[in-house]
Amino acid sequence: MMQAFIDSLWATARGLPVTLAIWLAAVVAGMALGFLVGALRFFAPRLVSWPLAALVETVRGVPFLVQCFLLYFGGPFVGIDLSPVMAGFVALSVYGAAYFSEVFRAGFNAVPPGQLEAARLLGLSRPATVWRIMLPVMALGVLPALANLAVILIKETAVLSIITVPELTFRVQGVGTSTFAFAETTLVLALVYWGLVEATAMLARATERRIERALAA
Amino acid sequence: MSALSVRGLHRSVGATQILRGIDLDVTAGEAIGIIGPSGSGKSSLLRCIAGLDPIAAGSVAVEGRATRPGDGAVGMVFQQFNLWPHLTARQNVALALRLVRKLPVREADARAEAALAQVGLAALAARKPAALSGGQQQRVAIARTLAMEPRVLLFDEPTAALDPELTTEVLDVIRALAAGGTTMLVVSHEMGFVAGLATRVVFLDHGQVVQSGPPAEIFSQRAEPRIQAFLQTYLSRVAWVQA
Ligand SMILES: Nc1ncnc2c1ncn2[C@@H]1O[C@H](COP(=O)(O)OP(=O)(O)O)[C@@H](O)[C@H]1O
Ligand SMILES: [Mg+2]
Repeated sequence: MMQAFIDSLWATARGLPVTLAIWLAAVVAGMALGFLVGALRFFAPRLVSWPLAALVETVRGVPFLVQCFLLYFGGPFVGIDLSPVMAGFVALSVYGAAYFSEVFRAGFNAVPPGQLEAARLLGLSRPATVWRIMLPVMALGVLPALANLAVILIKETAVLSIITVPELTFRVQGVGTSTFAFAETTLVLALVYWGLVEATAMLARATERRIERALAA
Repeated sequence: MSALSVRGLHRSVGATQILRGIDLDVTAGEAIGIIGPSGSGKSSLLRCIAGLDPIAAGSVAVEGRATRPGDGAVGMVFQQFNLWPHLTARQNVALALRLVRKLPVREADARAEAALAQVGLAALAARKPAALSGGQQQRVAIARTLAMEPRVLLFDEPTAALDPELTTEVLDVIRALAAGGTTMLVVSHEMGFVAGLATRVVFLDHGQVVQSGPPAEIFSQRAEPRIQAFLQTYLSRVAWVQA
């Protein structure tokens, strides 16, 4: 039994960097893609924004697990043949982007129209208004939601074990299967994810405060 | 030539007529008080003059020229201040000076500070809106508009969002501007303030001018019955008790 714990910790040490790397990369890529989609949905004409809305709804409507299967097992049929890690990264980025885009779109919507009218009356050009007023005001408003979403995504990485990404869950479950110590390994896994969520939540809050200080306060 | 000339101004949204033929001529240096019941079209009138709302018919001209938003002819101060929350008071005032007037940063900042000093906020130039009281925020908003030197200044219920004890500092600033000869239109429910400030008072109801004249005429028994009825609701709120 003790051995199972020790093995689990060893597996954790090996899986954690993979989990963190995929998470961080997917948060960055997902936020970037989500910003693009959110901005297009807000600014672009319907011809562009409606298909994007449908796309976002689809991604949000299909379980992440199913999306991973689709990409990893279905991808090769349409010429997308990705390694497990790459498939995991792409799937998590796209999944995150759908949610991030909603946050950004809502953020643009929430910029008080009066602040834009003030800019217009003072003679600011449209690009200057977007760049100098809309973006910073939007950013201030969406920071907490972005941080929250980033933290939620760390839990979703566990799903990637299904497509054999050698991350935390995959590694620690491996110990479980070879030793039959399922209870012990699962307990370790739960504790590690809990610690991870707490840590990333703290990190996210600190980043949030930093940006907030830079933008307002 | 009048500073502001509004002719046959109509505004409608769908089938609803919001403004139904407004005529108004304002001479340079005049302070026009606009009063009227909620929903009578006061904000719409100011917004049409500023070019923020489209007009269905009629015309608006400042010093004889048609205007469009951002051309510097009309400045507006809103009930909700509408300061930009991520910028300091100085940056709020200086932004348009830099981007629109193309002033170098140092000169824009100097002018912003002068405008802030004019509204009594020189000491708070480095604060962001969240660190200012409502009255101070509204004064920054006034400074931001003043700095661009509009020909006509519009105030839409500038103290309506303020706690009562904070209205005085804002009203004092507006009074000083009027005394200095700024051409302005002021929508307000502070009747005493309007009576003391305005060279002329316009009473709006259902998108039309019911009566316009000097305060002594509007705030008197000679005013239209509708106006007297409207003002009665204010009198009933006055708490002074005659011993
Ligand atoms: N964009 C709009 N769409 C529909 N109705 C409007 C719009 N703006 C104003 N109104 C209506 O026009 C009338 C006048 O509004 P407003 O100018 O805000 O009045 P006031 O400022 O005197 O209270 C109100 O009945 C209001 O509901
Ligand atoms: Mg109004």
